[in-house]
Amino acid sequence: MSLKTLTRDWEPMSYGFLDASAKRELRRKMLKAVAVPGCQMPYASREVPMARGWGTGGLQVSLTLINPKTCVKVIDQGADDSVNAASIRSFLAKVSGAPTTLDTLKADLIQSRHRIPEEVLREDQVLVLQVPNPEPLRSVQPNMSIARQMHADADYGRMWLQLYEQIVRSGRIMQGASYPSMVNGRHVMTPSPIPRWDVPKLNMAKHLTILSAGREKRIFAVPPFTRVEPLVFDDVPYKVEDHANLTCYRSGVRGLFMNEIPQEDGSSTHEVSDSEYGVKVIRRADGDDTVLGKTWYENGEMSS
Amino acid sequence: MAYVATRGGERAIEQAERLFRAEMGTITPERINEIKAAMPYLVDRVMGEASLYDEDIAALALAQTGGELYEAVLVLRAWRTTQPRLSVAEPIDQDALFTHRRLSAAFKDIPGGQLLGPTLDYSHRLLATQVLTGEAFDPVPVDPAATPAPAHQPSVSAWQAANDLVDLPDDDTTRPDDIPDITREPLLFPSKRAHTLQSLARGETGGVLALGYAAMRGYGQAHPTVNELRLAEAEIVVTHPKGTKFSAGRVKVSQAEVLSKKGEKLELGFAATLGWNEVKVIAAATLDLNSAGAPKGAATEEEFFLYHTEGVESSGFCIHFKLPHYVTFQSSLDAMRDAKARSAQQKETAQ
Repeated sequence: MSLKTLTRDWEPMSYGFLDASAKRELRRKMLKAVAVPGCQMPYASREVPMARGWGTGGLQVSLTLINPKTCVKVIDQGADDSVNAASIRSFLAKVSGAPTTLDTLKADLIQSRHRIPEEVLREDQVLVLQVPNPEPLRSVQPNMSIARQMHADADYGRMWLQLYEQIVRSGRIMQGASYPSMVNGRHVMTPSPIPRWDVPKLNMAKHLTILSAGREKRIFAVPPFTRVEPLVFDDVPYKVEDHANLTCYRSGVRGLFMNEIPQEDGSSTHEVSDSEYGVKVIRRADGDDTVLGKTWYENGEMSS
Repeated sequence: MAYVATRGGERAIEQAERLFRAEMGTITPERINEIKAAMPYLVDRVMGEASLYDEDIAALALAQTGGELYEAVLVLRAWRTTQPRLSVAEPIDQDALFTHRRLSAAFKDIPGGQLLGPTLDYSHRLLATQVLTGEAFDPVPVDPAATPAPAHQPSVSAWQAANDLVDLPDDDTTRPDDIPDITREPLLFPSKRAHTLQSLARGETGGVLALGYAAMRGYGQAHPTVNELRLAEAEIVVTHPKGTKFSAGRVKVSQAEVLSKKGEKLELGFAATLGWNEVKVIAAATLDLNSAGAPKGAATEEEFFLYHTEGVESSGFCIHFKLPHYVTFQSSLDAMRDAKARSAQQKETAQ
């Protein structure tokens, strides 16, 4: 018997890039995050061959969950072909051998920046959201260790005050994306910079959502069938972006979240933000046998 | 090509990378050797910030990134993090360092002597422009000293401690494998001492200098006196699986100890890093000196300076703003337009 028969040959890179100890830590921290929904779990957050702030947190989760049979979809701003989504997708495929897809319905694992796809996700799908700033309290408390104590005490008074002040000053809550939301009635989390349109999709969802901030080294989760409630006052209802009556100039899709495209004449036109959904609608109109999934929003209204 | 093309993203990023690499041309082993020989201080700087001591790999990273330092450090860190930790080396005592340069601003002379070593400190910073017109610049050879300085020097603070001027920290008896490792654990506050020193050691030189300088100018309470600055080589002693201790080689290290008076005693700030980088260790030691009791949010507070001098994180986040943000922007526009419409409506009703 020689050493060679007992060990594997040297390889320049582990399967899925991260080494076993990094993956083990991530698995443990993901389990913790699932166990305490919305609570930020610190993790080592290894360097990966991409710059911090470019999806390294989401990437570490995807690299840990991936296997050669996982079908992966990567989007940025709703688009599969956005340059950084293309880069992440090709890296995931290269280091894992996993197949990739653009179709939400065919994906097992969806890594996304700033959007949740428009088609309803299933129990067997995992959504990984890239998070730039995991701390919903940052705007009222930039110091991480004080903010951590505030979460422990469920001390969200300043957060509520900030929202109230916005109503007083501007007549409405001015928060755009990253709308602070209460998870399972205990922890306030940032849903990552998804538009307000997407936050209700997390509430009592069938799928698991893992949110990971690589640069800030925090991971948190929304397990399936967990309450996610945007922070709102009883008499001021939550308001999503006013996109219900917009129509996509390419696909004719109506009542979904849109990208605004400024025109030279000073007006705007719109295209559907979930790019592959738009493509599927066009294909179907052309007579292709394309399957469109049920969407969370129907006729511009969130269907429960 | 559009920023977000319908189906062009993959081709676009591939060609953009080719365009960058085309400028650097072929990378040969000769180029790596030339970088190592011609720019040891640059190699040292990226080795320190990457917390990876390997001159060949550091020079390769510099060659591959065309000297884009943040990229060079990132590529080294990403490589480093996948490597197994085979062994933790023995602690290194100051007295055991092979010291090339060592000075103290606190005393005119110190036991062991002031040792200038290699430095540009007293050089006149003039460009050797003759090189550009075809005349090589040949440095004048060094005249060896009649009696060479001893390779090993005692620590200045040991003398101060013996004279009851300073309280040295207790010996850290943590087992080598139990030393907290910032590359494998998150940084939490109040920070573990090992995490603080490790973070400063791999801090980005410019960032450490900016915040250290802020402290020196007066945004910190303590004015630093350089008690001891050392550029040295350290023997890396590791234990063979059979139990034998052996030297795995030497690495270049820098360390700075700064102090200020606090009541009847002196207070110490300390920093060390891989490679020779004097500016970084003096600035880092100044931050360390000022951190005790610093108010939350001050530049000298540990949480503030450790987060903001982490070069891979700060540079990555800075350049991420180039990524499309049109969804979040759209979301903000929606809130703005609605608020504007409301206030217009209110004015109308009032009239």
